[in-house]
Amino acid sequence: MPDYTNYTNREMQAVSIARSVKNGQIAIVGTGLPLIGASLAKKCFAPDCILIVESGLMDCDPVEVPTSVGDCRFMAHCAVQWPNARYVGFQANEWLHGGQRMISFIGGAQIDPYGNVNSTSIGDYHHPKSRFSGSGGANGICTFVNTVVMMQHEVRRFINKIDYVTSPGWIDGPEGRERVGLPGDRGPQMVVTDRGIMKFDEETKRMYLAGYFETSSVQDIIENTGFEIDVSRAEKIEPPSPDIIRMIREEIDPGQAFIKVPAQTEH
Amino acid sequence: MSKVYTLHDAVAEFVHDGDHIAFGGFTTNRKPYAAVYEIVRQGRKDFIAEGGPAGGDWDILIGAGRVKAYINCYTANSGFTNVSRRFRNAVEKGTVLFEDYSQDVLILMFAGAALGFPYIPVRVMLGSDLVEKWGISEEERKKIDKLPDKKFIIQEDPFNPGQKLVLVPTPKLDTAIIHVQKASPDGTCRIEGDEFHDVDIAVAAKHCIVTCEELISSEEIRRDPCLNKIPGFVVDAVVHAPHGAHPSQCYNCYDYDARFLRDYDTVSKTDEDFEKFLQEWAYGPKDHFGYLNKLGAERLIKTKVVPGLGYVPKTKI
Repeated sequence: MPDYTNYTNREMQAVSIARSVKNGQIAIVGTGLPLIGASLAKKCFAPDCILIVESGLMDCDPVEVPTSVGDCRFMAHCAVQWPNARYVGFQANEWLHGGQRMISFIGGAQIDPYGNVNSTSIGDYHHPKSRFSGSGGANGICTFVNTVVMMQHEVRRFINKIDYVTSPGWIDGPEGRERVGLPGDRGPQMVVTDRGIMKFDEETKRMYLAGYFETSSVQDIIENTGFEIDVSRAEKIEPPSPDIIRMIREEIDPGQAFIKVPAQTEH
Repeated sequence: MSKVYTLHDAVAEFVHDGDHIAFGGFTTNRKPYAAVYEIVRQGRKDFIAEGGPAGGDWDILIGAGRVKAYINCYTANSGFTNVSRRFRNAVEKGTVLFEDYSQDVLILMFAGAALGFPYIPVRVMLGSDLVEKWGISEEERKKIDKLPDKKFIIQEDPFNPGQKLVLVPTPKLDTAIIHVQKASPDGTCRIEGDEFHDVDIAVAAKHCIVTCEELISSEEIRRDPCLNKIPGFVVDAVVHAPHGAHPSQCYNCYDYDARFLRDYDTVSKTDEDFEKFLQEWAYGPKDHFGYLNKLGAERLIKTKVVPGLGYVPKTKI
């Protein structure tokens, strides 16, 4: 009998993503952890959620884990294959709807206290120390849709001033988004890391620690955050049930495309 | 009228040094690789490249030193290489001019160009460095005829005072190159699976080269016009290039060649290994069929999709 109690931080992240999806929501997913999380949501927490991808594939139901948002694994069994531009228009029209209809997941290399995210480059933009793939769909998503940001929790990534703002968050606080021309009733809702979950204060729009995984602690998160973070509301997050972990390992990502199963330990 | 060309002749006639070019497909899906290798073989260079959702296609041309200015929104063989390595290397070393837009904007630039719009008004990019920083300065842009002088202009929406808009000029493409499942000799195209932005660039460009898996008769392709996406008169050259999207996917035909994409991840790490890759896979084979022969029948057959699934189950990534 395999051990399903030895969950990893990555699995905990996937579970946190899954818990963030509300039933009936349209979830814009990428590949990797967000897809695992959203698939888990559909199976366990939010059976009526709908998965869409930025290449134009609508209401996806992949059997195997796709590696790209344009992967044939997403194309097979989806409801409609829209041209790319149709997706972009659909997303922009989200302006017409309440901010709660959709949720999306983005990743990044750096994040600041207001949830602005860098996925473009480290160092000077014109002569970068490290260059990444660029915005992809993230900038458009962050313009029109509530987001959950996935990050590795390290001091060098959680910093006051990021090198490049690829995807706008709450800009610099209250009214920040409206001032630059973005809808103010939506923005980053949550940051899920390998140590815990951060949220944004309703009034100040600044990031605070909402919860820490049992493998981490408040002190651990303070030490790994490069800016001052309010921890007064932090709670320990319940570990996932063995049944949820079994589902990730046996049904959602059995090929371990994105989530590696730890070596089994004897009990 | 037959527009059937050899790959060599299509590239020789419709791809020139300095051209403004866009490719169809999406990162690791339906990328026109056969044409990319042929462009490398023929030595064409100095392209103004509209990347769109790019992967190894533009990475190879950047690595081969053929791109003068690269308009980027995303460049990666997702799942195999997080950031295309020759692109990354060229940007970090400063050997290519580059510009960044959001993917939404590049896609709408293609769609806008296809609709005949001189520019597109969008709200995306506001509040980000995509509007604070220009990869290619106005001064530099003025030296390149095919690039607009400005990356964008921010203006107030004339119909909704107070709302800011980003106006982005649409590209004037010289040539679009797309790979499709079926085409007939007059250029009529059928695309199976998502068309992505392929129809838009075909309509927006002065010239369009189509490579296809199957060259079918006009009678056959007109049996079900509902499935056809591009009329023949939009197309300048039709090239029969089976497996012409290898190593990327082609819906209903074949999956990606995961081993090739993994190998590409490795060889694109260094200048030396990438040069060897070009020698082996671009310059070495005389033409596309030489490339296929080098891959071998078994390898190609093993990427053939399972009907009903649209991919090869349990492919090791």
